[in-house]
Amino acid sequence: MIALQVSKVTKSYDKDPVLRGVSFSLEAGERAALMGPSGSGKSTLLNCIGGIDRPDEGEITIQGRSLKGMDENELCQIRRSMVSTVFQFFHLLPTLTAAENIEFPLQLSGMEEKERRELLPSLIEEVGLSHRSHAMPHELSGGEMQRVAIARALSIRPKLILADEPTGNLDSATGEIILDLLEELSERHGIAMLLVTHSPGVTRICDRTLEMQDGVLVDQSTAVV
Amino acid sequence: MGASDSNSERPAAIGRLLWSRIIWRHWRREPRLTFVLVGILALGVAVFLAVRLANKAAVSGFGMFTESIAGESDFILRPRAGTLQVEVLRQLRDEAGAVPVGIFPVLEVSAALSERPENGLLKLLGADLVALQNAGTYAGGGTSVSGDSAGGDDSILGLPDRGFVGAAFAKRFGMEKDEQLSVIVNDQIIDFTIAGVVPEDPNRPAVPDNLVLMDLPGLQKLSGLEGQLTRVELRIAPGTQAEQNRQRIGAAMWDLAAAHGWVLETPEDRKSSVTQMSAAFRLNLTILSGLALLVGIYLIMQAMEAAVVKRRAEIAVLRSLGVTPAQIRAAWLWEGLILGVVGAIAGIILGRLMAVGLVVAISRTVNTLYYETTTSAVTLETGEMAFSLVFGIVASLTAALIPAREASLTAPAQSMRQGGQGGGLALLRNWPLGLLLLVAGIAFAFVPPRVLASGSIVPVGGYVAAVVLVLSASLLIGLLFRPLASLLGRGKRDAMRHYAASQLRRPEGRHRLTAAGLAVAIGMSAAMAILVASFESTLTGWIQQLLKADIYVAAAGSNSVTNENTLSAVTWQELEKMEGIAGMDKLRRYKVSIGDNDFFLGGADYNDDPERFLQLMWLNPPKVKGPNSLEVRETEPFPGWISESLARRFSLEVGSEIPLPTPDGTKRIEVTGIFAEYGNETGTLVIARNLTRDWFQDDRVSNMAVYADPGADIDALLEQIREAFPGVVARSNENLKAESIRIFHQTFAVTYALEAIAVIIAVAGLGLALAGLLLERRGELTTLKSLGATRADIARASMWEGIALAGAGLVGGYLLSFLLGWILIFVINPQSFGWTLSYRVPWLSFIGLAIITLITAGAVAWAVGHRNANLPGEREE
Ligand SMILES: Nc1ncnc2c1ncn2[C@@H]1O[C@H](COP(=O)(O)OP(=O)(O)OP(=O)(O)O)[C@@H](O)[C@H]1O
Ligand SMILES: [Mg+2]
Repeated sequence: MIALQVSKVTKSYDKDPVLRGVSFSLEAGERAALMGPSGSGKSTLLNCIGGIDRPDEGEITIQGRSLKGMDENELCQIRRSMVSTVFQFFHLLPTLTAAENIEFPLQLSGMEEKERRELLPSLIEEVGLSHRSHAMPHELSGGEMQRVAIARALSIRPKLILADEPTGNLDSATGEIILDLLEELSERHGIAMLLVTHSPGVTRICDRTLEMQDGVLVDQSTAVV
Repeated sequence: MGASDSNSERPAAIGRLLWSRIIWRHWRREPRLTFVLVGILALGVAVFLAVRLANKAAVSGFGMFTESIAGESDFILRPRAGTLQVEVLRQLRDEAGAVPVGIFPVLEVSAALSERPENGLLKLLGADLVALQNAGTYAGGGTSVSGDSAGGDDSILGLPDRGFVGAAFAKRFGMEKDEQLSVIVNDQIIDFTIAGVVPEDPNRPAVPDNLVLMDLPGLQKLSGLEGQLTRVELRIAPGTQAEQNRQRIGAAMWDLAAAHGWVLETPEDRKSSVTQMSAAFRLNLTILSGLALLVGIYLIMQAMEAAVVKRRAEIAVLRSLGVTPAQIRAAWLWEGLILGVVGAIAGIILGRLMAVGLVVAISRTVNTLYYETTTSAVTLETGEMAFSLVFGIVASLTAALIPAREASLTAPAQSMRQGGQGGGLALLRNWPLGLLLLVAGIAFAFVPPRVLASGSIVPVGGYVAAVVLVLSASLLIGLLFRPLASLLGRGKRDAMRHYAASQLRRPEGRHRLTAAGLAVAIGMSAAMAILVASFESTLTGWIQQLLKADIYVAAAGSNSVTNENTLSAVTWQELEKMEGIAGMDKLRRYKVSIGDNDFFLGGADYNDDPERFLQLMWLNPPKVKGPNSLEVRETEPFPGWISESLARRFSLEVGSEIPLPTPDGTKRIEVTGIFAEYGNETGTLVIARNLTRDWFQDDRVSNMAVYADPGADIDALLEQIREAFPGVVARSNENLKAESIRIFHQTFAVTYALEAIAVIIAVAGLGLALAGLLLERRGELTTLKSLGATRADIARASMWEGIALAGAGLVGGYLLSFLLGWILIFVINPQSFGWTLSYRVPWLSFIGLAIITLITAGAVAWAVGHRNANLPGEREE
């Protein structure tokens, strides 16, 4: 099953082309690193896949459903049920505790409270934050915040997780731990991942690396499958 | 995965989720900000309500009591000019036949307190007290004169020197039953005794604090108006036949009135005519309510925008998690609704308190101009309350909807981008629309006015133009930021000033809203100031031209337009014969009506010195000039001069004829000249006094201008006049001029107070805006501090930003005021009360206001910066 299919996607800001025909695909459970110089359009591509920005042309298909022509509500449904995003700057909701942040997408998708209460501890457990679950975001360390963000992304059991420099704001040791966590979760739940990164170390958990330059993919080195 | 498609059917659940997890948390986490938000909302509603309540109280006090002397009269019969004779009563009786109808004759005479004439006019009301007492048989409640205080031995029937006063009167002058009161009626001083105090009754309008109720024959004797009546009130007895009877009597009275040239009114007609306040003053109040309304809306918008912008990033995160724009919008609307309700309720309480203070100020002004007023207590009616509640909620919903809509529609990726262009209202950035509105506003000014069925003229085009121009200014104000920023950033010596300039170079919605709110407050206040200044300079010129005599003599209380006190023939003739007096201009003034329109008729008698006589300011001078020019014709049509207002109200020009109703029948008057008059806007017709003397059988005069012999000692002469005639008011030329200007200033005193409130509130809004902006820039502040900026540096940056914002508001506001002033003076003013004014800008007070605003804004902004400089930075961004 193909988790993500991107074909000939273009995008420009004020006539400056940022993406100039990007095509690739990800199998279910496959992890790919997206690398490239700053400003090459990696985040833009990720935003388009996550449906929080729209490509000018081309098509993006997630789990066989094309985002093309979807209205905002349909895109919301996709984000609620299939794709999660993890950001470099965590983007936790500042007024909610760690546990509440993780719970939020579940509430959003209408899960019963009983079910949520059963699921929540295991989610928190999975990212190893049981002892901090009642802390507010501003009381957490960077690594802890990223764990919350990952658990939040995981909560809806997505088919695809997009991560934009998930370790970019963490020290290398913490970064390694987060990477291990992502790999483990991806393996266990069969989640495809697209990780934007600047650090070659990230590729160690990836099946292949996509190299982006000036809005196009230049090298799709396929590693061991 | 599980509940993938069921979400759209569960909006309520998601709404509750957003509510409990996001909005409520924000309120709890930042109670101070929430409090400020609600406070600002409340302030907006309060200003709005207070102005409305105060206006209403001041206006309803106006002549309210007179309508209900006989409880609720069904009809009022009055003459078009002069008085009615008591004989009409028999005629009315005959007409009524067997129909049960109460007939109440009334005589109204103006008077002044002899010791305290500055307290304004008193009104002596003569009524048939016996009939009033019996009125209880016609309906449940007549006037309570029939109560205890009038009963028993204290009969005042027929006594000219005894009268009842209301509780308000007794309180105002500190008087009790049986105390003596010395009043001036016409030119006579009369001592009279308070026979009783009418207690207040919540079910009836209070007896005004300037009214003395007397027995009719007594007052007729006292005022020398034996056998005469001002009006007759008719009241149909209640019962099954009442409606039928009302129609029968109405028809009969209508015929009678038509046959005799009387005016037949229902209390509603009368109310609307009595409450006709000075149009200038009404206009003033209209603009002030508009100002309160607009400033209120801007404050609310700004508060809501602040709330949304502050959470822009959060909205983006919510959307990246799959919350739909509609759900976000709904959540913010709910927030707006709840804040609106809480704010409006607080505002209603606050507004009620503010109104008490305002009503005193407004009534004082009205009192100066008209005597028929009394401060009726500020009542918080359900209607007004509901109206303010709706205003608060609608304004806050609108204010919440616009930014929430925008925030929820921006692609989340944009909102999340660090330092991305501030969100806020795209509408506010639409300066081409602003230009379009500017042109449209000017175009609207040329739309002709609407003439209502009642004959009053409403300058619709002018008002629409003013509103459109205010909107246009709000959109165009953004254009000022760039030039202001480069002005501020010039000379890069002060890093903090440079930093402040950089904030303005990419202004947020809040910057624009704040500047727009300030611009509107300043623009409207300044426009009023232009109107007042133009009015003042025109009026001063007019007074200089008009007042050329040495001494002015009038019956007490003559400042007021409604004064009807006069000097008897004996008095003015004796005065004329006094040593040292070279000549006089004499004027007898009457109130007459043509159709439904009242105006003043003046009988003038000018000094026959070819140099020294009353010099009117001509707009269209008569061909024949000189002191006797009004008397050149012996036969109809008689020559008459009209004021500008009269010309406009009746569409008259030189050569037009006026059918003038007089006790001697209708007379034809030909307009031979049009003069400027700024004393009243009802309009005046001046004819020779020998004509009014014959037609009205009346040789009394209302006031006189006295010319002293050349070289005479004016002060000595004044003293002499006062001694010889203690019942008259004599003033020197300077004194009268000063008095006129004083009254003028008092008229607009309340304006200044309300304008000050508007500007203060707008500056407070600026403080809140900056506080919000700094809260949002916490990250930046941390960076600034890491670069070595001190707390004082940050305060200084904030100060410069505040000053620049105030500067934008001032520049925009003054530009707006020039246009609004132009509309007020050349469109609204001539259309609604027909005075030609010359445009004058009070530069000095403009500069003063600008300096005060800049200093206050700078101080407020500095304080806000200083306070917020040490906020802990937000760690998660
Ligand atoms: N909202 C926007 N408006 C204008 N230009 C934009 C916008 N978003 C991105 N860009 C431009 O698009 C280009 C690609 O940006 P993008 O954020 O995708 O780069 P990136 O590859 O993620 O870089 P980095 O590795 O530094 O994060 C950049 O040149 C950026 O300036
Ligand atoms: Mg990036």
